[in-house]
This record gives sequence, structure tokens and C-alpha cells, in this order.
Amino acid sequence: MNEFVEQFLLESRELVAQAIDDLMALEDKPGDKDRLDGAFRAFHTLKGAAGIVDFAAMAKTLHAAEDILSTLRSSEYPITSNVLNECLACLDLTSRWLDSMAASGEAPSAADRDADDMIARLVDSMATDEGKKNVALPATDDWLDRLSASASQFSEALTAVRYVPDPDTFFRGEDPLSIVASLPQLLVVDLALTNKAVTLETIDTFSCNLEILALTKAPIADVHIALRAISEWTDIRQLAPSSQSPGNEGELAQVTGLLEAQIALLREDRAEGLLGRLESAGQTAANALLYLRRNAPAAAVELAMATARSQRKAAPLIAAIEQALKTEAGPPPPTSAPAAQAGSVNQFASRALRVDMDRIDALVKLTGELIVVKNAIGHAAKRAQDTKDPTRVASILRDQHALFDRLASELQGAVLRIRVLPLRTVFRRFPRLVREIAGSVGKSIKLVTEGDATEADATIVDALFEPLLHVLRNAADHGIETPERRASIGKPTMGTIILRGRPEANNVRIEVEDDGAGIDVDRVRAVAGARGVASEEALAAMTDDEAIDLIFAAGFSTAATVSDLSGRGVGMDSVRAAVERLGGTVSLRSRPGSGTIVSLMLPFSLMMTRVMTVDVAGQAFGLPLDNVLETTIVGRDLIVPIGSSRAFVLRDRTIPLLDLADTLGLARDESSRQPAKVVVVAAAGQIGGLEVDHLGDRLDVMLKPMEGLLGGMRSVAGTTLLGDGRVLVVLDIQEMFG
Amino acid sequence: MTVTLHDDNTIRLLGACPAEDGESLLQHLLANPTAEVDWRGCESAHAAVIQVLLVCGRAVQGPAAGPFLDRFIGPALARWKRQVPPFPVVPEMRKR
Repeated sequence: MNEFVEQFLLESRELVAQAIDDLMALEDKPGDKDRLDGAFRAFHTLKGAAGIVDFAAMAKTLHAAEDILSTLRSSEYPITSNVLNECLACLDLTSRWLDSMAASGEAPSAADRDADDMIARLVDSMATDEGKKNVALPATDDWLDRLSASASQFSEALTAVRYVPDPDTFFRGEDPLSIVASLPQLLVVDLALTNKAVTLETIDTFSCNLEILALTKAPIADVHIALRAISEWTDIRQLAPSSQSPGNEGELAQVTGLLEAQIALLREDRAEGLLGRLESAGQTAANALLYLRRNAPAAAVELAMATARSQRKAAPLIAAIEQALKTEAGPPPPTSAPAAQAGSVNQFASRALRVDMDRIDALVKLTGELIVVKNAIGHAAKRAQDTKDPTRVASILRDQHALFDRLASELQGAVLRIRVLPLRTVFRRFPRLVREIAGSVGKSIKLVTEGDATEADATIVDALFEPLLHVLRNAADHGIETPERRASIGKPTMGTIILRGRPEANNVRIEVEDDGAGIDVDRVRAVAGARGVASEEALAAMTDDEAIDLIFAAGFSTAATVSDLSGRGVGMDSVRAAVERLGGTVSLRSRPGSGTIVSLMLPFSLMMTRVMTVDVAGQAFGLPLDNVLETTIVGRDLIVPIGSSRAFVLRDRTIPLLDLADTLGLARDESSRQPAKVVVVAAAGQIGGLEVDHLGDRLDVMLKPMEGLLGGMRSVAGTTLLGDGRVLVVLDIQEMFG
Repeated sequence: MTVTLHDDNTIRLLGACPAEDGESLLQHLLANPTAEVDWRGCESAHAAVIQVLLVCGRAVQGPAAGPFLDRFIGPALARWKRQVPPFPVVPEMRKR
């Protein structure tokens, strides 16, 4: 895939996300001008980007949406749900296009058709807002052919109007031509007689016999608005940009138009959103110039953008774009600079991750300090050669090692932070999905997100979407009651789901809290019994909390019930599986009548694990520190056999005890009658003890998962190398007790 | 009067011509079969007036005083008279 396309996909995805953000905010506050501006800018930049990669269908679709937003910006009317829905649908379509582009590297073949449908829907959304239905005239499209000859002389998208006034229009005191004259950005008017046989002798001057055609540069939405009083008599069409003027002429005109549009955007006399406008206009202009291989003006524009940003003034950027417009009118430079172009293209890495500048700076600083330590160690080595006093050298080396140790761990932390993303990147996809789910089940639900700035490793954040969607869907579908039910029990009819993220020590906790009915424990027991998830005896012995936990059990929800209307539990086993694959846990709390909280606990990073080493039968093993509650020493006489296993009492609590050597199938020297060393661990909500021979150190390790033949091995989380070169096997306590 | 006969051979449109001027113009045209129309003093004209111009197909002396008439209606009349689409583009609006 070419680098431009990759960069395009990356940028476009961000812009789509940003536009969705703004539109969702507009749904809450339809009059929010800032959000409207934000959405408009996102659409605008997206459109520009689509133009750069020659994705005409996407450009024209976004153009239609941008037109609507632009009309709304200049009007006093708040955005309506109709328009909002269609704009969101437009972004959905764009996302699908981006996905298929990412897969195949080219624009999807059906894009043009989809684009036309989408544009029609967008235009319709405006038309129905006006309370009028656009009645198609019975006339054929031959008028379009008549206009298209003129249209071909313009390179941008045009709107064509056919207006056949009703014959009695003069009697009503109307002047059809003055209505046409009021059309914005009018380019051409054409007149014809509907009845060509009329002569001066037969004409009735009080009856209108005109067919008026008009061509305008104004967006179709504007035209709809301007002609809404006579919509019954008009046919309004969007003409695609002319394809008859390819090559430099057309491109030049397009780029010129694009650059002029950026200047217009920058000239807007508003302080708010300036930085955003600078960024989007500057980037679009620079990309457009790069597309024409005007590398020098493009660089100048980018430079001006930086200057403008630092001065918080649009003037430098406007000047640069104007300069580019002037020079750019000339013929394009000969294509003799492939090297320069390759250079400018290569700056886009194939796999890109956007990283905060500060984090890179931190790395640079640490690297500098590491070099100082490296020099000091070299110096110490030289001293060791020369000197007769080894203790002195040893002390220097120890100091440097301590320093090196600190720097290495800081470096490790800094590198890990590069891979960190805020939860916002996944959270912001949900408001819209919840809205859709709520709509499909006939409920009204508000999704509140909290703590979306909480950060976690990119791998974790990326993998969170699916499980969270399951949980949210369950909450919306089954947690929140119907509006009627809510009203009858005195709850507000609009249900609330809170999606909350917060850091907890080395973990990230994500909670989904609904204010619905909570979970009916008796029903869970009944269902679990009926589906054979647990035996009747086991069910009877379970506490309510344990019974509720059965929701996560495999088999609780069966294929037959996985539908929109199934009982709570749809896919919850898959949620637990997904979260545990990430090294996390899921739990659920229910308050009957007042709601449910599903809580996901995930490690901050997949790469780093803190482990505690233990020795068993002469071999070292690691236990993930997250699972370790405490270590203790228990006298042999306090360990009591219960059935085939053993247990001991710790602070009035009976804790099952596993002998790690037995569990791992290792032979142990039974002669030792010393008190047992026990690591108390927590796994899957239970507490257990592991008897070991020796307690070791605490280590931060980069865990390497088991691969190949060993990949399926149970009870092993992964391996890492110890300082002395031995392999440390880190155990998965969850699976050992499971 | 916004429609007047001048020199027996020129029908002048002056100022803003309302719908009723369609009928006056028609009467003048019928009475003077060779008369030309002069709209150099015409600021604006109702569609009823333009319709009569369209039907008569007579030569119109321009340019009209009103910019909308000059820019859009004049060329449209000329095209209709020639009956040869496609029509040319208004020069001022053309992209450079």
C-alpha cells in the first residue's frame, strides 16, 4: 500500500472519531456552536484528505455533509436529529470505506453507488427538516443534459435547478425570476418556453409558460433552503465535478479551489477554534500542494502553519497559502525530482503510532544519562586494570550499577509509556452504539463516560472494545427496564449507564454501571440448573454472589438464546474469556431494583509483569505478584487434611493448601519437617495457599508467552530469563486453582 | 411609464418593469412588427415581461441596466433565439 494511503487512513480514522465525538455532543446540546464548528472542520479536513488520495466518492459524500453543516453554522436553527443521524451514517459509511481501503489498498468499487445513496439521504434529511417533501417532477432528465454542457466548464461540484412555475403564478403576484435571482452563487440561467408553439398573437401574458434552468456553485442544501417556498415546482440535482477536464488543468483548478477554501476558512473572524482551524487548513493546503509535487510551497505552508500556531494568528498561514496560489498558477515543475519526492514520502513510517512529544523527549534525556553511565563504567574498567585496590573499584562499580539500574527501569517505563493510549480511544465509540442499541430495544438510555483519560497499554485498549460492547449491550438490553416499567416504579424514564475508567495501582479498572433492575438471583439459579451449568446441590450451597457469578460460566447462555431478546448472560462467558486473555478479571455486583455494576480489572501493560520467585524442589518459579496476597509460615501441626486435600486456618479463615511440588508433579525431599512456607494467593475470587520451599525475590519481568507446542500448556503464564541465565517459568495461578 | 415607444422603432423598457408591463410590451410589439426592444434603462423585469421577450424573439439592445438581467437573462434570451445549446458561460464567473 502506498504511504500516502496509509497516512490518509490513519488521519481519516482520527477525523472520523473526532467528528463522531462532536456530533454526539451536538445531540446532547444541539445549539453548541463550538461542537458544530468542530464537526464541520472534521468533515472539511476529511473531504480534503479524500481529494488527495483521489477517492472521489468519499470526497463528494463528505462534501454534501459538509454543506449541510456549513448551512447550519450560518443559520440560527439547531441541528435536528434527522440531520445528525444522516451525518453519523455518513461517517459510518466512511469508516467502512476506510476499512475496505485498509484491506485492499484501493477505494471500494461500489463506493460511487453508496455515495450517491448517502448524498440523497443527506439532502433528504435537510428537505424533510423543512417540513416539505421534495416532489419529483415528471419531466425527464434531458434538462440536465442541456445544463451539463455548461457545467463541464466548471471543475467543482455544482447544483442544477429546474423550475417550471405553475401557470397561475403571475396571478399570485409571484415573480419566478426574482426567486431564481436570489439563488446564491448563481452561474448560469437558461430560459425556455414550456409550450414552444406560442406566438405573440396567441400568448396570454398573465399565464406563465416558462421553464427556468439554473446552475449554481452553492451547495445543494443551500439551494433547497433558498427554494423551499417553491419546492413543489422545482427539481434540484447535484452535479458531480466534471470529469471532462482531467490532467493538470482539472487538478490545478481543484487544488486552487481547495486552497481558496482554506483561506476562506482562516479568514473567519472568530477567535475560538483557531488552533484547530490552523491545523486543519494548513495540513489540507500542504497535502494539496504535495499532491501537485509543489514540495517547496508545501514546506513553506507547513512552516507557516507552525509559525501561525505559535503566534496564534492566522495571518502567516494565509500569506503562505496565498503565495502558493500565486506561484502555483504557473506550469508544474518537471518531474525531475523523484529523489526529493521519495524523501518526502518516506517520512511516513509504514506502521505509525502517534506519540506525545514529551514522551520522546523523556527517552532522549534518559539516553543521555545512560551514556554518562556507560562512560563511567569504562572508566572503572580502566581503573580495575591499573589499580591494586579491588575494593575501591568494586565500590565504584556498585555505584554505577545502582545508577544503571535506576536508569534502565526508567527507560523501561518510558518505553512502555509510548505504547500507552487513553481509554477515550475506545470509550468514544460507545455513546453512539448505545444510542443505537437503545433505539433498537425501544428504550431511552444515556451513556455517561467518566475517567476516559485513564491510560492503558495500546494492546489492552484495542482489545477492550468487544468485551465492553457485550457488557454495554447487556446493560442496555436487559439491565435497564422499559420506560413504562421505570415510570411505574418512580425511576426517571431515561436509563443511565455509566462507563467509568480509573487507574488502580498497576491496574486499570473499568466499570459499567446501569441503574436498571439488577439481577434476579433466583432466575439465574433456575437457568443455571436448567442448562446444567451447576448441579442442584451445588446451586443450593452457593451464596447469592457465587450464583450471580454463574452468569460468566460457559454454557450459561446457549446459542439458541443469543439474540437481542435473550436473558442476561448473553456472551458474558466470552467477556470473561476475553478479559482473562488480557490478564484481567471480571466481576459483577448487583443491587436488586437499583442496578448492576460489571467491573473489569486489567493490567496497565501486557508487557510488564511483577513476579515473586519461589523455589520448589530445587527449581525456581515465578508467581504473578498481582495474585499474591501475603506470605506466611504455618506449623505442620496446624495443617489439617480435609478429604484428599489439606487446609490451614489463617485469621479464622479456612484456606485450602496446595503443595506446589505435588501440583507440578515434582519430587520433593520429604525429610524436612520444618514449618511450611506458604504463599497466600487470590484467584478467581477465591483464596488459596501454595506451599513452597523457599521464598525468593520480587522482580519486574517482560513476560514471554509460551509458543508453539508449549502454547497449550496449562498453568503456565509465560517465561522470562533470570539474571544468571536460568529460565524462570511464571505460573498462572488462576488456572492452577481453576 | 416603464414601457414606451420611441422613434416608432424602439420599445424602451425603463426602471423596474412589473408584471403588467408584459401586456403593454406585447401590445407595443404587435403594433410595431419591426420595432426592436431597448432595455438599457431597465433595472429589473418581471418574468411576465421576459416571457414576452422570449416569445417575440426580437433583437434586444443592451446591455440592461440591472446586473441580473445583463448577466443572466440577456445571454439566456440570446441562446433561446439561436436555439443552439450549449450556452456559453458568463465570463465574469469563469474560473481563471
